[in-house]
Amino acid sequence: MNKIKKLINYMDLRKVRFWIQIFFFILFVYGTYLFVDLGRNLPIFSCGYNRASGGNCYFLALQHQLARPWWRLFSYASVGVLTGFLTFLAWFVIFNKAWCGYACPIGTLQDWITSFRKMLKIPYSTYTVEQYRFLKKMKYVFLFIVIIFPLMLGLGLLDGEWRGAFCKMCPGRLITPLFSGDFSQWTIDFSNATAIFLTSFGIGFTVLFFIGSFVKKRFFCFYCPMSAMHYIFSDWALLKLKKDGDKCTKCGDCYNVCDMQIKDIADDVKSKNILRDDCIFCMKCVAACPEDDALHVDILNMKIFSSTKGGFSKRMEIIKDDK
Amino acid sequence: MTNKRKIETPLQRQNRHKAMECVAVLDKLKNDFDIKLDAMGYFYDLCEKVYIKKESIYSKSIKIGTLCLQVPSEIIYALDAVPIRLCNGFHTDDEIGSDFATSKACPLVKATIGEFNSGNFTDKPDIVVSPTTCDQKSKSGAIIESFGYEVYDMEFPRTKESEEAREYWRRSVRRFAKDISLVLNKKLKRGKLKEAIKKVGYAQYLYHQLNELRKEDNPPINGNDMFLLTNAFFFDNIDNWTKAVEKVLEEAKTKLDNNIKKNSVRVVYTGSPPIFPNLKIPMIIEQSDGIIVADETCSSNRMFNDMVSVDEWFLYDMVDSVADRYLKGCTCPIFTKNSDRIRRIIDLVKSHRAEGIVYQAFAGCQVYEMEQRSVLEAMEKEGIPILYLESDYSPSHLGQLTTRVEAFIESLKNRRRKKV
Repeated sequence: MNKIKKLINYMDLRKVRFWIQIFFFILFVYGTYLFVDLGRNLPIFSCGYNRASGGNCYFLALQHQLARPWWRLFSYASVGVLTGFLTFLAWFVIFNKAWCGYACPIGTLQDWITSFRKMLKIPYSTYTVEQYRFLKKMKYVFLFIVIIFPLMLGLGLLDGEWRGAFCKMCPGRLITPLFSGDFSQWTIDFSNATAIFLTSFGIGFTVLFFIGSFVKKRFFCFYCPMSAMHYIFSDWALLKLKKDGDKCTKCGDCYNVCDMQIKDIADDVKSKNILRDDCIFCMKCVAACPEDDALHVDILNMKIFSSTKGGFSKRMEIIKDDK
Repeated sequence: MTNKRKIETPLQRQNRHKAMECVAVLDKLKNDFDIKLDAMGYFYDLCEKVYIKKESIYSKSIKIGTLCLQVPSEIIYALDAVPIRLCNGFHTDDEIGSDFATSKACPLVKATIGEFNSGNFTDKPDIVVSPTTCDQKSKSGAIIESFGYEVYDMEFPRTKESEEAREYWRRSVRRFAKDISLVLNKKLKRGKLKEAIKKVGYAQYLYHQLNELRKEDNPPINGNDMFLLTNAFFFDNIDNWTKAVEKVLEEAKTKLDNNIKKNSVRVVYTGSPPIFPNLKIPMIIEQSDGIIVADETCSSNRMFNDMVSVDEWFLYDMVDSVADRYLKGCTCPIFTKNSDRIRRIIDLVKSHRAEGIVYQAFAGCQVYEMEQRSVLEAMEKEGIPILYLESDYSPSHLGQLTTRVEAFIESLKNRRRKKV
C-alpha cells in the first residue's frame, strides 16, 4: 500500500497528465469512430457540432431544454430536463473540476498551444491583480447567457434568433469540428442582425482563443461558463482539492505554477477546501508543493495524491529517488 | 638585543582574539556533548582552516559577498561566481564595528562592519551585495562602501503579501541578474541556472533530510552541530558541503537505533541567528540538558526551508521563481506582519515534538525585540512555554543567562513529570 502511495506521490505529473489528456481528447473528439457515445450531458466543452464527438457538452442540451415555453418547462413533460441535469451532475460529481484539467478537449488544446509557445521559447504573460479580478467575473456573464437567455426565450422576452445563443458565441463550436475535417462552422450567418452578431462574435472569440492561449496559459478558461457552473456544485463532488494550512509556509510555489493565477492557493491558510472558481484541477500545485501533505487531492476524505518533499525533489530533478 | 619585546599589530591582535573565540567554541563542540558524529569533523576542521589558519577556500573564483540571505545564490553560481555570506559572529569584530554604528546597534551588523573595516578576510569579497532588508543592514551597506568596497544595493520590500511587493522584488532580482552578469562579463545561461537551482535545491533537500531525523525520540545530531553545519553553507564550497552533509546524514541514520534513552528537554530555538562562533545561547541550552530539535532562524531553517519550483525551464521563469523563494516564504521579522513566523514556530514545535521555545533577540535588533510580544502571546494561546532572552556577542552576562536557561529547562522537566 505504502509503495503504491509513494509511486503516485512521486509520479511525474506532467507526463501522466499529458497522456491522460491525449486519451480523453481522442475519446471526445473522435469518439464516434471508436463507437463511443457518452451522452449529451457531459460537463466539458466537447462540442455537439462535431459529428465525430464521443459525447456532448451539456450546454447544448441545456439551452435547448430551457428554451421551451414556460408552461411546458414546469410540467411533467420536463422530467427529461431534470434527468438531464442529474446525469450532468453525476458525471461532474465524480471528477469535480478535473474534467477541465484532464478531459476537456478545449482545455487540452490550450495546453498544446502552451507547449508550442514553450518550443518557441517565448515567455508567457500574466494578468495584473486588477485585470484578474475583473476578468474572472466574465464567466458568470456567459453562464447568465447560457441559463437565463433560454428562459427569457421561453417567456417570450427574446426572439427565436437568440436560440442557443451561447453555442453561437462559443469557440468550441468552431474549433472541435475542425478535427474531423468540418470547416462549415466558420461562417457568419447573415439571416438577421442577431445571428450576424452572435456568429461574428463566435469567430472573433475563436481568433482571440488562439492568440490568447498562445500568450496566456489557459486563456479561455477564465471565461468558461462551464467552469462557473462546476463551481456551483463543487462542494458535492467526491474528488476534492484540500489544503492543510498549518503545514503551508506560503512560499508561493503553487501559485507560481498555477495556470489560472489563483493566489488563494498560496495565501489562504484557513480554508480546508482550497478549490476556487477558476481552478481547473490540474494538480500542478500539488506537484509543485515541497511541504509534506500541505496540499492533497482526496476522494471521500482519502488522500490519493499528496504533496511530498521527496516527490517535489524528484519532479524538480534534484534527486533521482528517495533513499 | 634581539630580546626586544615584539608589539602586536592590531591585525595580529584581531587574528589572535578571533582564533581564541574560535577554539573555545570548537573545543566545547568537540568535547562537551554526548551526541557525537565523526562526520562532523569536516566542519570543525573547516572552521579551524578558515578562521584560525586563515586558509582561503576559493583561490580562483570571483567572490560575491552577501550581507543577508536574500541574495539569490542560484544566480551567482550560474554566473560561475561564488556567494559568501558575510553575516559575522565574532565578538572581536563586533568591538571594531562599534566605532561605526551606535553602541546600541545589532552586534551582527556591527561585527560585519568591523570585519570589513579591518579588511582582514580569509576570502575577500570582490563585490558586496547588500539587500535592503532591515534598517541596520541597509545602512551598513553605505558604511561598508565608505571603506572602499564596491557595494551593490539590492532593493527588498518590507511587505510580502501584496502582488506589488512580489513584482517589485522580482524586478530587483532580474536587475541584479543583469547587473552582476555585466560586471562579471558573463552571460546568464539557461542550462547553468537550471544546474545551479538543482544544486542549491539538493543542499536544501539534504538539510530537510537531516531535519527529519531530529524528529526522532533520540535526535542523532544536536542543535549546535546543526548550527555549525548550516553556518558552513555561508562560505564553504557547495560541492564539498553537500558531500560532507551526505556523510553526516549517513552516519546520523546509523545512530538512530542506538538505545541510550536520553531525557533531554526538546527545545525549538527562534530569533536572532546564532552565527559561529557566537553559539552562546544554543550552547547554554544544550549544556543545561536541553536539546535543540529545530530552529527558526535565518542562519539555518530560513536559509534552507523554501525551495524553488519552476514551471517552464527558461530564464524568464527560472529567475522569477528564484526571486519568489527569497520573498514569499521568508519569516524575517522585518516584514509588517509576522503571522507566518508564528505559524512556522508552532509547526516546528508540533512536528518536532518540542516542549518549549527559546527566543533570543540580539540587543539592538529592533525587529526581533518588537515582535517578541506578539510571539509570546501566540505561544501562550497555544500553551507552549517560551523563554525570551536578550543578549549580544559579549561573554559578560553568561552567568545570568545560564541561570535563566537552566531554570527554564528545569521548569519544562517539571511540566513533563506533572503530565506523566
